[in-house]
Amino acid sequence: MWIYLLLFSGLFMGWSLGTNDAANAFGTAVATRVVKYRVAIVIISIFVVAGALIGGDGNIYKLSSLAESNEVIASVDDVRSAIEAGTVGTLRLKSALKAAIIFACSGLTVFIMSYLKFPVSANQSIVGAVIGWGLCYADYSNPEVLSGNLKQLGKFASTWLINPLGAGLIAFGIVFLSKKFLEDKLTSLKSYDHLVKTGYIIAGAFASYSIGVNSSASVTAFYFDGAFQETGVAANLLTSPLLTAAIGGVAIALGVLTFSKRVMMTVGGSIANITQIDGFLVIIAMALTVILMEKIMGIPVSTSQAVVGAVMGAGLVRGIKNVNFGVFKRIAVAWISSPTVAGLLAYGVAFVTRGYFGT
Amino acid sequence: MFRKSVNVHALIMNEIKSVKAALLGFEGFLRLAVMPDSTVETLQSLEKGVCEAEGEADIALRKMIDSLVSESFLPATKKELIEISTSCDRIANKCEHASTTLVLQNFRIPSEYAEDVMKIISISVKQFAILENTIGMMFSNFKPLVKDHSVLDEIRHLESEVDVLEEGIYRRIFNGEGELAQKMRLSNMIELICDISDIIENIADQLQIMLITRRA
Repeated sequence: MWIYLLLFSGLFMGWSLGTNDAANAFGTAVATRVVKYRVAIVIISIFVVAGALIGGDGNIYKLSSLAESNEVIASVDDVRSAIEAGTVGTLRLKSALKAAIIFACSGLTVFIMSYLKFPVSANQSIVGAVIGWGLCYADYSNPEVLSGNLKQLGKFASTWLINPLGAGLIAFGIVFLSKKFLEDKLTSLKSYDHLVKTGYIIAGAFASYSIGVNSSASVTAFYFDGAFQETGVAANLLTSPLLTAAIGGVAIALGVLTFSKRVMMTVGGSIANITQIDGFLVIIAMALTVILMEKIMGIPVSTSQAVVGAVMGAGLVRGIKNVNFGVFKRIAVAWISSPTVAGLLAYGVAFVTRGYFGT
Repeated sequence: MFRKSVNVHALIMNEIKSVKAALLGFEGFLRLAVMPDSTVETLQSLEKGVCEAEGEADIALRKMIDSLVSESFLPATKKELIEISTSCDRIANKCEHASTTLVLQNFRIPSEYAEDVMKIISISVKQFAILENTIGMMFSNFKPLVKDHSVLDEIRHLESEVDVLEEGIYRRIFNGEGELAQKMRLSNMIELICDISDIIENIADQLQIMLITRRA
């Protein structure tokens, strides 16, 4: 049973992700005091878990496949060989240990960045760590493997651009349309307040749901044994995709409930000079982007990148002077540095432990 | 929810009505105060009217603030509404203070300043009418106000007219003959009267900030 203690590494990652991603769902609402912090974290927690239970299990397979191609978790062939050799227990331990190392590297990176008040991408740190690990084990003499690794890296890095850009475009469109059509609904100060409050709650719940769908798998997928259905033998800690996603969702919710205020205030208060209505439209744009990107790219993308891109897109509707590019640059450095740091950490650990895991 | 909204709207407009009554009462009071032959008794009766209106404005303000507790306005909106209502109340306070001071000191504004003083108070009344209309629109006709709030510029324009008149009066006071104490007393009274216009302008600024931050 002690082997299940290794799950704590993933749970810590989920907790870190929750502390960071909560800002993207309700940062603006809490910073502008439209929604109380306590109300926000309860809504986020409920909808993150709901997203994990309803749509999170699909991502488990995608991520475990990525982990498999990067030597983090065992393939069906590896499991079959272990069954024949009678070493499934060792394989199970190694898979769980590798998952724990990946999450420890990315979790540590995210925690430090969050403490420094950067809206860093937890998802990207995880993928960065997986790729870092894979790069250590890649067979560089094989051009096919090398090209596969480079393709994976390229796809991963492209989300740094496509994700915020896509969110910016979607936000620009939504905010632009709201200027045309939403003003007609504002007949009184009361109706304005009602629209803003309702808008933030709906957008925040939707964003929390998208975080549950997008991120719950990220924090537990590497404990999942994708080969279980074929082999019938558990070669990792978890065998049910639903339970795997649910555990991820709960871990994120715990992060939201305990340590999310700092980043919430940064995201909500300092990136762009946007109105309250633009604030909840930005969140809707972020949630839409995250879901679209996950479908198109097949990689859980950064909600932080999406929300910052969306905030900038919304700010641009009113003119370029409404965008604080200084903050954007600071955050962009964090986007690139966090997966890189996590990747380097994972590469280093993989290199040092190669004697154990490589055999 | 809708009924409550009407309630806050009604309570704010009720306060505005009382402040307006105080301001108009003060205008009537000044009309007499610039006449050298006006009696203390007549001035006292008008001053009483101003004080009563100020008292009603206070009560209306407190009712409005109490009603906001149970309202579903955003916290920022509640704060802004309280600030605006409190500022409006200051207009009534200023009217009360000026009229009471004049009565207590049995002081008359010299006739050579009468025309300008009456112009100043008349401009303040005009400013307040614009303000009253704008505050009403916040609750009932918000959309056009958010799109175009240039009406508030008119309040600022009128305030600058008051500034010109005020400066002219001060020049005449201090360039003329007489004791410095008398000059100071008169200039203090003029300052009190002109403060009303400044307060209205400040409220217009507060309203403009509210509108700018609420553009869709």
